[in-house]
Formats: sequence, C-alpha cells, structure tokens
Amino acid sequence: MMEKAKEKSEQNHKPKGTDEHVIVIKGLKKSFGEKHVLKDINLEVKRSENVVILGRSGTGKSVTIQCIVGLLKPDSGSLKVFGDEVADMSEKELKQLRIKIGFLFQSGALYDSMTIRENLEFPLTRILKIKEQAEIDKRVEAALDSVGLLDSIDKLPSDLSGGMRKRAGLARTIVVNPEIILYDEPTTGLDPITSREISELILSIQKKYNTTSIIITHDMECARLASDRVVVMDDGEYIAEGTFDSLHKSKNKIVAAFFKDIL
Amino acid sequence: MAEEMVIPAWKRWLEGIGDQVEFFFKFFRNIFTGGFEWSEFVRQCYEIGYRSMMLVGITSFIMGVVLILQLRPTLVSFGAASMLPKTLAVSFVREIGPVIIAIICAGKIASSIGAELGSMKVTEQLDAMEVSGANPLQYLVVTRILATTVMVPILSVIGDIIGLFGGFLALNLRDKMSYNLYFTKVVASIDFSDFLPAFIKTIFFGFAIGFVGCYKGFHSNKGTESVGLAANSAVVTASLWIFVIDAIAVQVTSLLFYK
Ligand SMILES: Nc1ncnc2c1ncn2[C@@H]1O[C@H](COP(=O)(O)OP(=O)(O)OP(=O)(O)O)[C@@H](O)[C@H]1O
Ligand SMILES: [Mg+2]
Repeated sequence: MMEKAKEKSEQNHKPKGTDEHVIVIKGLKKSFGEKHVLKDINLEVKRSENVVILGRSGTGKSVTIQCIVGLLKPDSGSLKVFGDEVADMSEKELKQLRIKIGFLFQSGALYDSMTIRENLEFPLTRILKIKEQAEIDKRVEAALDSVGLLDSIDKLPSDLSGGMRKRAGLARTIVVNPEIILYDEPTTGLDPITSREISELILSIQKKYNTTSIIITHDMECARLASDRVVVMDDGEYIAEGTFDSLHKSKNKIVAAFFKDIL
Repeated sequence: MAEEMVIPAWKRWLEGIGDQVEFFFKFFRNIFTGGFEWSEFVRQCYEIGYRSMMLVGITSFIMGVVLILQLRPTLVSFGAASMLPKTLAVSFVREIGPVIIAIICAGKIASSIGAELGSMKVTEQLDAMEVSGANPLQYLVVTRILATTVMVPILSVIGDIIGLFGGFLALNLRDKMSYNLYFTKVVASIDFSDFLPAFIKTIFFGFAIGFVGCYKGFHSNKGTESVGLAANSAVVTASLWIFVIDAIAVQVTSLLFYK
C-alpha cells in the first residue's frame, strides 16, 4: 500500500516531456476460462507516437486494446495509462480516462437507431457537453468531411456500405479530438484508394493534434504509412518490435510472412 | 481454474438473482445522477404506445365481447341478466384487463427491448457507448424502464375502456340496452377500490416488463443467436413476473380494500 502511494506521488511530480510514456503495459495476462489469450504483453507507447500491432487473427490484439480502456479486466500484470493503473480506477476516474481515449471498433459499432449525424453528435453533446449547435455542426461536418462522408450525413448506418460504416465509425472516434486513439483494423474491408486515404488521415491526425495511437492492422500499406514503430504479436506475446524498415529485414518466420509481399 | 468449468445450476441461478439486484440498484442510481434523457424517454413512450396500441385495442375488444357472450347464459339462468354490465365491469377492470394487456405488452415490448439491447450488445454498440465515456444505463436503460412504467398503465386504462365498449356491442346482439344505460351501470358498479389497486398493479407490471427486457438484453452473450435468446427469455420471464405480481397484488388488495 505504502509503496503504491509513493509511486503515485512520484509520477505526479514527473515533468511531462515529449519522451513521456503514455501507455505502459508490463507482463499483462488475460485468459477466458481455459483459454490463455494474452500470455505476457509488454509495451510502452510514447506521447504522440503511432504504434502498429501486427499479428494473426485471434492472437489477442483486440483483447489488448480492450484492456487499455477497461472494457476487459486483465488477470495479472500492470497496465498504466497517463501513469495510473487502469484496474485500480474508480468508475469516475475510468470515465475521465475514457473521455481522453478514442476507440475505433473493428465492426464500427455505429448506433444503428441514429443517423450518422446523431452518431457523431452523441459524444459531443453527452460527453463533452457542448451546447452551441453551430459548434456541434462545425465539428460534425469537419469530421465527416475528413473521411469523405459528408454526403451521407443524414443517412442511417443500415443504408451505408460496410466500408462507409467503418469510415463513419472513424469520424465518430476523431470528432471529440481524443489524446489517445486506439484503431482496431481501420482499413480492413476498404478499397486500396480509400485505405490509403484513411492511413494518411491517421498520420495527419497524429501530426495535427499530437495524438498517441495504437493501430491494429493487417494492411501493410497502412502499417508502412502510419507507423513510427511496429510490434508483431503471436500467440499472446510480442515477438518482434522495431521500425517498419528494420522489421522488413527480419529473419523471424512469422515476421517475414507479414512482410513477404513488400518490396 | 478447474472449478470454473462446471458451475452448478443453483449457483448460476443465485448469481443471476445477484446480477438482477445489482442491475436494479444501478438503474435507481442512474435515474438521479447526471442529466435525464428527456428526448429519448419521450421517444420510447411514443414507440411503446404506437407499437402496442392496435394490439391492445383489438385484444381488449374481443375479450369484452367474449366475456359477455360467456357470462350471459349463466346469468340469464339465474334471472340476473341485468347484472351483466356490472359483472363484466368488475371482472374486466379488476383483473382481466390489466393482466391480459400486461401479457400482450410483455410479448410486444419486453421482447423488442430485449432484442434491441441484445443486438446492440452483439454489435459492440453498448461497448462503444461505454468506451466513449457515456453511460448506456442512463441513455438506454433508465429511459426504457421508465417509459414502460408510464405507458403500460395508460395502455391498460385505454384497454379497459375499449373492452367495456366491446361488451356493450355484444350485449346489444341479444338485448337492447341504450348506450347511456349501459355506461351508467358500468360506472356505478366500479368503485374506487376496484380501479385504484388495479391501476397500481399495472404500474408494477410496466416496471417488470421494462426491467426484464433491459436486463435480458444487457446481459445477453455475444453471438447472433443470443439476440433471439434475449428476446425470448425476456417474454417468458416478464410474463412469469406479471403473474407473480398479480398474485401478490390480490393478497395485498384484499387485506386493504375488501375486508
Ligand atoms: N469477451 C470474450 N470472451 C471470450 N473470449 C474472447 C472474448 N474476446 C476475445 N476472446 C477470445 O480471445 C481470442 C483473441 O481475440 P481477439 O479479438 O483479440 O483477436 P484478434 O487478434 O483481434 O483477431 P482478429 O485479427 O481476427 O480481430 C479469440 O480466440 C477470442 O475467441
Ligand atoms: Mg480483432
């Protein structure tokens, strides 16, 4: 108990430089029943860094980022965001944290009883509690414009294609200008041209707002464009880490498999 | 880890009860914390009224007609045909109207709430709402439970009126009785002590319908088949609750009103 309190006070005095680690994960474990999904995850993400996670389907990439926002509780290990342990947070603290984190769901997870406009207004009015309609409209339109969906603003999610829904989900994530964005497969199911636009959008958000991001993807083009650093995950552990170009030369079989089509 | 594999049925059942109690308190806490979602509440009231009105009307009408046709031979054989309006009014307002209408609403409303929230759970919309820092309980659950609590009693009163009107038409198939005479008899035969307990009962029915629908939807598993399962078990559980509440209500009312 004493140690913990001391640790906390030390962190509060630490100056917030650019080298500060926003997300620190140590020895994270998570199982569902008998199934050990995360075995030993260690990851540190610096402020305004884009980290790409590569890994085969079902290795626990989505589970990892769901632990970061407290949707899933890890079994053991430490997971700190902005220096505070997520598992120890009260409901209120967790809510405060979640306001700072944007989360793009793999499925988009649009509210299907609301139009696209209402989907984007929801976090603005309910969470940021913005009152002026002009301000709301401006932000909603800007976010939709950046994903190229301004025309569909008054449509229902069911009237959109899969790719459009994904982009609308992305617009809803960025409309609140979060400090951290967790992208779960932002370009899957999109055509190469839109994929590239989304990857460039991710990069430009990082540059413009200094956001810290974790990007889960299978799209190597997206990884190349948007990443400062790439980690490769297999069977609940991280097996390789480095810049895109350094991993490109890796001899590891699984890593090489991801990079084999890249010239 | 090994003992997690087989959880005995009684333990799961107890856990379910525990979850429901917890959900109940969460619901109450969320009525009063943060802003109340008025527009969503009004939208839900409208949806519930709009979706169930037709069904409630038709069912009540038919029940009124059928009851008169069934009661008539018995009462006539006692030479008590003039008692028909009173008998119908008392049985309909006290018991048949509220219970039939609540069961209809359980089928219509509890299932659709269960399915709606269940599919929101499956498609990660509930997670998305929670992760964004909003409170799905406040936006989705509080509004729906309060909407059913308000709307089911209103639907019951409307159903009572339509049922009694159905009775009037059925009565006129055989005997000629004026509209005025029938409704004067009906109004004279319904005491406050008939109407009030029945009305209060429907408030509880409404709450049970909303609560069970929301609970089943919110706690459904992630998988497409669980949406149907949530809807189905919402109807079954809500109907069961309606009969349990009815049984309790009749005890309480007879203690308080019909000594
Ligand atoms: N809520 C849950 N309950 C039980 N098991 C789960 C849950 N969430 C994930 N899993 C299991 O954890 C494993 C990892 O899932 P996860 O969604 O993290 O995979 P992923 O790496 O994101 O794969 P993909 O690239 O296909 O999205 C899967 O085997 C899945 O069945
Ligand atoms: Mg995933």
